[in-house]
Amino acid sequence: MSRLAGPLRGGLFIVILAAMPSFDLAHWVLNMLVFTLMYAVMSSAWNLTGGFAGYPSLGHAAFFGLGAYTEGLWFQHHSIHSGYEPFLILPLVGLLAALVGVPIAAIAMRTRADVFAIVTITLLFVAQTLAFNLRTLTGGAQGLSMTAPPFSLRTFERPFYYVLVLLLAVAMGITWASMRSKVGLSLAAVRADEDKAVGIGVHVVGVKLMSFAVSVGLTAMVGGVWAYYEGFIYPQFAVDPLVTIAIVLMTFLGGRATLWGPVLGAFILELAQQYLAYDLGGSQFYLIAYAAVFLVVMLLLPRGIVPSLQDRLRQRRRRHLVDANPSDGDADALGRPEVSQGIVLSRAQMVPLVGGTS
Amino acid sequence: MALLEVVGLAKSFGSVRAVDNASLSVEEHSVTALIGPNGSGKTTLFNLITGYLRADTGRVRFAGSDVTRADAGTLYRRGLSRTFQQARVFSQLTVQENLVVAGGYTWRQLFGGRVTNADRDRAGQMLEEFRLGHVADLLAAELSYGQRKLLEFAAVLMSKPRLVLLDEPTAGVNPVMIETMERHIRECHASGITFLVVEHDMNFVMRLCDPVVVLDQGHEIFTGSPAEVQTNSLVLDAYLGA
Repeated sequence: MSRLAGPLRGGLFIVILAAMPSFDLAHWVLNMLVFTLMYAVMSSAWNLTGGFAGYPSLGHAAFFGLGAYTEGLWFQHHSIHSGYEPFLILPLVGLLAALVGVPIAAIAMRTRADVFAIVTITLLFVAQTLAFNLRTLTGGAQGLSMTAPPFSLRTFERPFYYVLVLLLAVAMGITWASMRSKVGLSLAAVRADEDKAVGIGVHVVGVKLMSFAVSVGLTAMVGGVWAYYEGFIYPQFAVDPLVTIAIVLMTFLGGRATLWGPVLGAFILELAQQYLAYDLGGSQFYLIAYAAVFLVVMLLLPRGIVPSLQDRLRQRRRRHLVDANPSDGDADALGRPEVSQGIVLSRAQMVPLVGGTS
Repeated sequence: MALLEVVGLAKSFGSVRAVDNASLSVEEHSVTALIGPNGSGKTTLFNLITGYLRADTGRVRFAGSDVTRADAGTLYRRGLSRTFQQARVFSQLTVQENLVVAGGYTWRQLFGGRVTNADRDRAGQMLEEFRLGHVADLLAAELSYGQRKLLEFAAVLMSKPRLVLLDEPTAGVNPVMIETMERHIRECHASGITFLVVEHDMNFVMRLCDPVVVLDQGHEIFTGSPAEVQTNSLVLDAYLGA
């Protein structure tokens, strides 16, 4: 039963999300949820590299842009009839980005931690410069427009919404499967001590490239959906450092290397940002409020929400057990000596605060 | 033919010649010791042999083939594994997972279960041997330093190695744990594993190892039985600086 609890919880979450539009939500609410889902998918994707492998990429927005432009360029030469064609090529968009990602990762992942972050942010600016300057391809600063989808205005957001729910299910499914396979075990070893992992025969390069490729592939697919949803692609939004920063913050907030952390982080931060942007008007004040929210949570729950809560729960359960069996000090129910007495450490407490590898 | 042959290996860091034309061989089924004063290049030599560092010149042969340019992972899969001076285990993985991750799995198995029943059996056997069964589900971070050293040793045995290089297996552990470590090395040796051991505890070396290779200033100066080493004037000079 406990083996099924995880997938059941995940399935229930996806079903609830998929049911939301049936409640006749206002357009602005659905619009907000569409963006929240985009960030939830991208944070979950980023978590595969930045969380599990311990490689904090700051270049993911480059792949978001790659996906957006691929989608935009494809439909400059192909017409849209049913409105669903742009969604059907999303797997190809993802595959293309993954293929582009492999050689990039093969080079960038020779560096680690902070150096890797700098190398990948360079990638982001290279991509942005290309988007601005390859005018014949991208239209430069004029942007690229896509054909408007022939969806009824009353339910305009729904197709995008459902596709993003599906992508989120895929991203969370991949995360869940990797955590339960030796891929996740290998990534944990890479994150903790990559040199040692090499020396015990872990396929270090293989799992690193795999995590990066899958991660950027998913990110590019979100880029594709975004381009179609917005209807136009401007380089400053398609390859935007703020997108990178947002997905990193969301993952940190929710908790790195957890299944639910990035999703939770995305829901909190994106909804808060949208709310604050409405509330504080068109000014940039919302950015300050956004930072304040983040600061408060980081002060109170420095390792992110999910790991901190898991710890609290574990400690409470432990205290509860001790209260229930006051005589049970030295041995547990099986008569084994209590080895961990005094040191109540959890998996999560061992995850270092900054940088996956040292 | 020797299981491991090192011929004329050299490695410089800037102007420091850490390993300077060192040669040694490790016979199959031996427990060879590598000793020498601090800074004589023992750990650097280990790093060169196990593929963690690239040699400037020289050759390494393992089980009949040239492995001078092989990386650490390849060597591990071929049966040459090592431990580190500071017991490097994965502290946020459980004890059991620490063993499983070192089990040497194929690409196909990579997509199988994180800890399968077969893994659990195999790791369980190893944990029983090392009397770590009761801590199998604890995080490695919760173990004592000595237990972590044992765990690191047990983990490299998971791949059924032919040669294990131990870097100071008894450094920083209590006397009881030293005996435990010694017993495990003897048991593994009896089951056919060859050892090359760097160690500062001379009693430990004299009890357990034969032959003993002495390294000084990056170069081997003497190879012989423990008794010979204790009386050799070159060795005494190197240690006492006379």
